[in-house]
Amino acid sequence: MTVVLEVSNMRKTFGGIVAVDNVSFDVRAGEILGIIGPNGSGKSTLFNCVLGQLQPSAGDVRIDGNLTTGMRPCDLNRLGVSRTFQLLQVFPQLSVRDNLILAGQEHQGSMASRLFGRADAGLSDDAARMIEFFRLSHLAGEQAGSLSYGQQKLLDAAMAFMAGPRLVLLDEPAGGVNLTMLGQLRERLHAYHAERSATFVVIEHQMEFVMALCTRVLVLAEGRIIAEGKPQDIRRDPIVIEAYLGH
Amino acid sequence: MTRFGWILVALAAVVAIAAPFFLKPFGIFLISTWVVLTIAAIGLNLTLGYAGQISLAQGAFVGIGAYTVALLTPLGAPFPIAFVAAGLLCFAIGWVLGYPALRVQHHYLAFVTLAFTTLVFLVLRNEEWLTNGIYGITGTPRPDLLGWKTGGARDFYFLCLGVLVVLSLATWWMLRSPWGRAFVALRENPIRALSLGLDTRRYTLMAFAIGSSLGGFSGALYAPLVQFIEPNSFSLGLSFNLLLMVIVGGSGNFFGPFVGALIAVLLPEWLRITQGYYLIVYAAAVMVMMAFCPAGVLGLAERAIRLVWRGDKAAGASP
Repeated sequence: MTVVLEVSNMRKTFGGIVAVDNVSFDVRAGEILGIIGPNGSGKSTLFNCVLGQLQPSAGDVRIDGNLTTGMRPCDLNRLGVSRTFQLLQVFPQLSVRDNLILAGQEHQGSMASRLFGRADAGLSDDAARMIEFFRLSHLAGEQAGSLSYGQQKLLDAAMAFMAGPRLVLLDEPAGGVNLTMLGQLRERLHAYHAERSATFVVIEHQMEFVMALCTRVLVLAEGRIIAEGKPQDIRRDPIVIEAYLGH
Repeated sequence: MTRFGWILVALAAVVAIAAPFFLKPFGIFLISTWVVLTIAAIGLNLTLGYAGQISLAQGAFVGIGAYTVALLTPLGAPFPIAFVAAGLLCFAIGWVLGYPALRVQHHYLAFVTLAFTTLVFLVLRNEEWLTNGIYGITGTPRPDLLGWKTGGARDFYFLCLGVLVVLSLATWWMLRSPWGRAFVALRENPIRALSLGLDTRRYTLMAFAIGSSLGGFSGALYAPLVQFIEPNSFSLGLSFNLLLMVIVGGSGNFFGPFVGALIAVLLPEWLRITQGYYLIVYAAAVMVMMAFCPAGVLGLAERAIRLVWRGDKAAGASP
């Protein structure tokens, strides 16, 4: 299968602390790769290095075989790589609809066409479809900041999908989401994945969520990959259990 | 905007057009000052209120614009050319001043822009060969445009008002375009904006450059309005005053600068009866305002309207 994302010998240090220590892995087209690991094991740092938010100390990132290390997040995004953040990241003062239009507007036209063209950048229909897809239609005109936490989490995911990315990195999508909303989120992620044959990488603590969603799991501890395999095997792996539960 | 809002805007327009026919020359001078400073405040509102980039340099751009016109006109440049040159020059300098904003934020950025204002002031004062130093430049003429002589107070007021209308419509257009959405995103969450494909560097520089060019346009009208410019008019005091207009009016609110500038221009005149104490009263009013209504006068008005509205609804719902 084609490799979409290739991370090789990635290393990131903050002063004397090694947050990511020589990590290499491939993500293949169409898979949903889970990355799990205890707090502070370097998962989010890894994401930030892959997506250009942080400059890795060493190592390379390749997307579709092209070197993208050090590329700016906005340029990566326009290559079809999207992400969500661990903490909620919607624009609270914009409406739900405007949040989604914003997420798509930079993917078409030029700076000039965005200034002189239509106010909605021609994205109202796409936004409405995405809002419908995430079951937020009744909230389309509301300010994003007035939504419940779970609804904002859905909007957050919808924004990441708005421009139709091929590769989506989700940082703890289930964090702090109640069980009802969690089922809905997982079901929507599955639906998008199937519809667009997209590739996901998911950081998650919620084990049930990982088991139900992911096709393969990497386990990170102290900045290193300590295990890799199918979700059901990972769950029984003694190394993983030890890393999570300690000695 | 609600229908109520449009009615208010229409009323304000009628008042703005009728006012000079009822005012004495000094009154016309005051409302002309209001119009000119509103243009600068709209620019700062764009940079600060919408894009969230704090700037204490807007007064300096008004100065650059004013000196550009005052220096180009004696060389024979027609006013429209000098006017456009002032805006373009400030656009370019504002673009360059935006670079620090890519590295520093908030109060650090305030300091960078404060230093810039001081720098501009020193250049205006010390480079006498160009700016005539502390003696300033007098007698920048009010232009004749296609046979329309704007030398009279009323005519020049209408010229300023026309410019204000055109520039506010342009700003309105920009703010409702995808650019406006991008500016707000820049203010609310630049990191998330970047991850959604927004070239935050370009938008930040644009916010600075466009905001500054509005400062330049304002200055281009200021020179022929007061007909005497000197470095002190464009020291930090003016930048702070413009900042106050934006914040008192309602930062990030399209009509905020109009209201803020009106208060900043008229209040000192009304407070004249307090003689030497007017600055104290003014400052105290601003402090109270900031403590109880950080969204500015328009924020307060919106809150009041919403309260009344809700009160009506509640009254209607109860038997």
